[in-house]
Parts: sequence; C-alpha cells; structure tokens
Amino acid sequence: MVRDYNNRHALDQKLRGTPKPAHVDHLEVGHWQAIATVLAHAGLDAAVQRALSSTPDLSLRYCGPGEWLVVSQVDTPVGLMRRLDMLCGTQAHVIDQSDGRVLLRLSGPSARQILAKGIGVDLHPAAFALGGSTNVLCGHIAINLSRTGEDIFELIVSRSFAESLFEDLMTMGRPFDLSAAFSE
Amino acid sequence: MASLITCPHCGVRPKEEFTIRGDASLVRPAPSASDEAWHDYVYVRANPRGRTVEHWHHVAGCRRFLVVERDTVTHEVYSVVDGATAAREAQR
Repeated sequence: MVRDYNNRHALDQKLRGTPKPAHVDHLEVGHWQAIATVLAHAGLDAAVQRALSSTPDLSLRYCGPGEWLVVSQVDTPVGLMRRLDMLCGTQAHVIDQSDGRVLLRLSGPSARQILAKGIGVDLHPAAFALGGSTNVLCGHIAINLSRTGEDIFELIVSRSFAESLFEDLMTMGRPFDLSAAFSE
Repeated sequence: MASLITCPHCGVRPKEEFTIRGDASLVRPAPSASDEAWHDYVYVRANPRGRTVEHWHHVAGCRRFLVVERDTVTHEVYSVVDGATAAREAQR
C-alpha cells in the first residue's frame, strides 16, 4: 500500500490558526531550519572546530568536548550535510538533526526572567556572553541554550520533547504576556 | 548532598543535571582473579562517612563521566575532574 508522507512540524498542533501579532516578549518557533550534530574523532577536536568556525553562515552550538550542533539559516538539510561532509569529512561524524530537533527563539526584555524560572545557569550578560552556548536542563528537559543577540536566546530541543517544553515556556512567560508563532 | 558541581566543561551546575554512578575508587581485578575478589568488586560497597570519590555522569550537560571528590557529612566538593583525565593520570 502506498501512503503519502506528510512532513509535519512537531508544534503544528500547538500553533494552529491565524498567527497573532508578536508581543514585546516573543517565542518564535523555527520552521524548517537545517541542524546537524558534529562529533569529532578522538584527538581532532581543535581541527574540526577550526574548520567549522571558518564558515561565517554556520552557527556553532557547544554541546560537550568535541561535540557541536551546527545550525544554518541559509541551507537546506541536504545542503548542510553536503557542506559539513566537505568541511570535515574524515575528521568527524556528521548526523542530520533537522527533523530530530526543534529550534525555539525567545526574545524580549524579560527573556532572562522567563528562562531563569527553569534554568540553573547564570544568564547575566556578563556571565553568559553573546554567542555563548551550552547544554542545560530546562525544568526536566535537556536542551541546548545559546545567546544569539542582546536579549535573544535560542533553545534547541529534541522533537519529542518540543510540545512539553513549549507548554512549559508559555507557562513561564505568562506573567510577561509571552506570545508565540512560527517564524516566517 | 553537594548541590552545586563545577563541571570542567560546563561550569557551575545544579546536581539535578547529574546522575551518580557509584564509587570511583574501585580497581577492576585481573580476569584471572579469584571469585572472592570479583564478588567484592561487583557487589560489595562501603557506605563511607566523610570523603568519597564517585563517578558522576553529566546527563543533561556535556554527557561526560566526571570523577567527583566530595564529603558526605559537610557536603563540601573538593575536586571535579573529567573521567578520561582521571584515568590517564591513574595509569601513570
């Protein structure tokens, strides 16, 4: 039997209906961006990091020693895999995570206060520098948190935890009138 | 219990991000060692009061095994080292 495969976003059910206008504090859900995991072979951490950071439109997110999440806003998932294979083909394992992870972008003046309700890491601008990223626990869900702008934080979460994290974030952001929508 | 652990890769983190995986001071016996030695290694554990060395797994962070030296009475943390580093030093 042949079935049509419908590619649905993990948060389609949560964000149905016409998009409402964004408030000051806004949660933007990334719609089909390319994400990949790069795990360097033993002893090649520095070489892989050099190769990856030489490309300006790839955003590197630190996960652990020799392990990164690479996010690209310009590539398709297939295009990103091809580029990463060329950059570090024999030096690292590259795995496509575009459908396995969901990217949430929290922005606004209260972003830190919202995140502080679930995250046990110092988010002060001096402690969590611009461009910094790390794996943390948000409530009970392990996420990758990175600071991409002055008051902008990006959260990358496993697809199966996305709905749960989304609900948690909306509860955490309720006193600040947090709004949510898919990115354009 | 010690509530803040300074992970060598991630910085200061709450203990909720970790799982404790047991005593790190045990030495694996040789394959030809006696049954008693293996029984002790696999099953027998002390429940020490004071300084202990343990394996902690940073599950929600860098996912590395760490060797944490802490005090079970005062909850003080003396040192946190990456498991691979600790193993390399032990071999010397």
